[in-house]
Amino acid sequence: MCCSNSIERDKATMGKPKAFDISAVKGMKFFDPHVHMTSRTTDDYQAMADAGVVALIEPAFWLGQPRTGLDSFRDYYSSLIGWERFRSSQFGIKHYCTIGLNSREANNEALAEQVMEILPLFIYKEGVVGIGEIGFDDQTAAEEKYYRQQLELAKEAGLPVQVHTPHRDKKKGTQRSMDIALEHGLDPYQIIIDHNNEETVKEVLDRGFFAAFTIYPFTKMGNERMVEIVKQYGSERIMVNSAADWGISDPLAVPKTAALMKLKGISDAAIELVTYRNAITAFAQSGQIDEADFTAPKNIDQTEKFEGNTILRGGQQPRTDKSSIIIS
Amino acid sequence: MAISDGFGNINELLLNIIKDNLEDAAFEWLIKAGSANEIDKLGQSFVMLPRKTGKPALRISEVQKKQLEESGISYLTSWSIDRLSRVWLLGVQSFADTEKSHPVIENLFLSAEVNEAVALYSALPFLAKPETWVKRCAEGIRSNIGSVLEAIMENNPYPAKYLNEAAWNQLVLKAFFTEKDINKINGLDGRANEQLALTLSDYARERYAAGRQINPQLWRLVAPFINDQIFEAIKIGLTNQDKEEHNAIALAISASDYEPAKVYISQIPELSQLSK
Repeated sequence: MCCSNSIERDKATMGKPKAFDISAVKGMKFFDPHVHMTSRTTDDYQAMADAGVVALIEPAFWLGQPRTGLDSFRDYYSSLIGWERFRSSQFGIKHYCTIGLNSREANNEALAEQVMEILPLFIYKEGVVGIGEIGFDDQTAAEEKYYRQQLELAKEAGLPVQVHTPHRDKKKGTQRSMDIALEHGLDPYQIIIDHNNEETVKEVLDRGFFAAFTIYPFTKMGNERMVEIVKQYGSERIMVNSAADWGISDPLAVPKTAALMKLKGISDAAIELVTYRNAITAFAQSGQIDEADFTAPKNIDQTEKFEGNTILRGGQQPRTDKSSIIIS
Repeated sequence: MAISDGFGNINELLLNIIKDNLEDAAFEWLIKAGSANEIDKLGQSFVMLPRKTGKPALRISEVQKKQLEESGISYLTSWSIDRLSRVWLLGVQSFADTEKSHPVIENLFLSAEVNEAVALYSALPFLAKPETWVKRCAEGIRSNIGSVLEAIMENNPYPAKYLNEAAWNQLVLKAFFTEKDINKINGLDGRANEQLALTLSDYARERYAAGRQINPQLWRLVAPFINDQIFEAIKIGLTNQDKEEHNAIALAISASDYEPAKVYISQIPELSQLSK
């Protein structure tokens, strides 16, 4: 999620543009474990597929416009496991999601109570690989209350938890998120602490949690900094994501970061771990990820047929030539 | 006869197949989920079912295959175990307590992911009081998800038996639009009607105008209703280059009583034989 920025300041931090050369990571597969495709276009799906993204996780989050009723939440969760998953499949990308009540809207307690009641109906659905993204935003009492309740839900269902850490007062918020999770008896190996930076990563790893890094322009991590983190902390339990959403963000953040790591001399094995394997290891603890679904495209799941749809050929959307003035 | 009229026997057959396809623990879980005192948990059981059963394709013995054919539901041999188990679970709970299960099942439709939706629509002919699901079925036809549409349109005896004419026509038109396997629509010829024939011939004209091909099967549904208006569409169809479509049109004309079309086509040498 982004916030307001000074354009001049942003420009100053951008540095000199450097072309993204996909050939550096050609043939590699990527898994983006945090991206809000609901807020993105089909062009993004196409670009992600072209760049090697084979699977992704879409966490339930704040849509920008606060919801005023339960049905809006219900429809949003339904679209994550229904329509958006289908849309993604049209581009050959396997779509998973995490379901939860986000921290911001946890502050609307009357509504939050109702949302908590319908969550159990969604978390056991196919392809739901965790509870998320939950945690702290303003670090209010209400946020803590529903964070705790959802941790209990995750414990009962045996699901991983995707924890959003706050923009403001990040270090303390991150510590507090971990303390509370441990207090509820969860295994840190089942918890992915998201949006880390140089200040938080050491403690997260030392305490046995997974550490996710969001490569997001201006407000979160840049990928040059990310390369340094992998150099310093290695590749164990570290993963990168784009968290691309309705803000100025980049759905190609994962393949771009992989390409940059390659150029900066990080080993292929380490790149594979932080841009693909570790995310699968963490979220497959849900029992809902079958790697064959996205590594063997010819191995068609007989329970799902896409080629029957008029606009789909072999699970793919026909490509249009965007440079042509003719639309037919 | 609707499947649900003879659900007792079908239920036994389905359960027999399910048992052969499940580990003991999963089968016991399913039996418990289908028992009368578990109806309150129907929603959750339905949703988490694949976590218990897995999703492999069904293995079905020759004897069972024959029994399915006799019951008119041999199409489900291509299903996966979770789909069949879900259909069985909904059927059995719907008969156990129709009133109580109805809102639960309705809610499942509201929040269904794709495989759930496929199972839900596949279950329609297996539910008690199937006529109460007509609106839900019509709503399903508005889906844009291929496998959901297939579950409704292909190999499903429910729509032909229960949908009103408007909804049925919508189903057929959308099946052509989305390139479904028209041969798999149950009761297709039996429910041909004039309104549908007119709509389909309009659709054909739109396609011609856009320079697109049409599925020649369309003409099979138009045949009994050829009139002046449809004749115009036919004349355009005969000017395009698709031989297969010319043949389909000729066959349609041969099945109709519309004289001007018969005269017209008798003047086209390569089609005059077909239209007799």
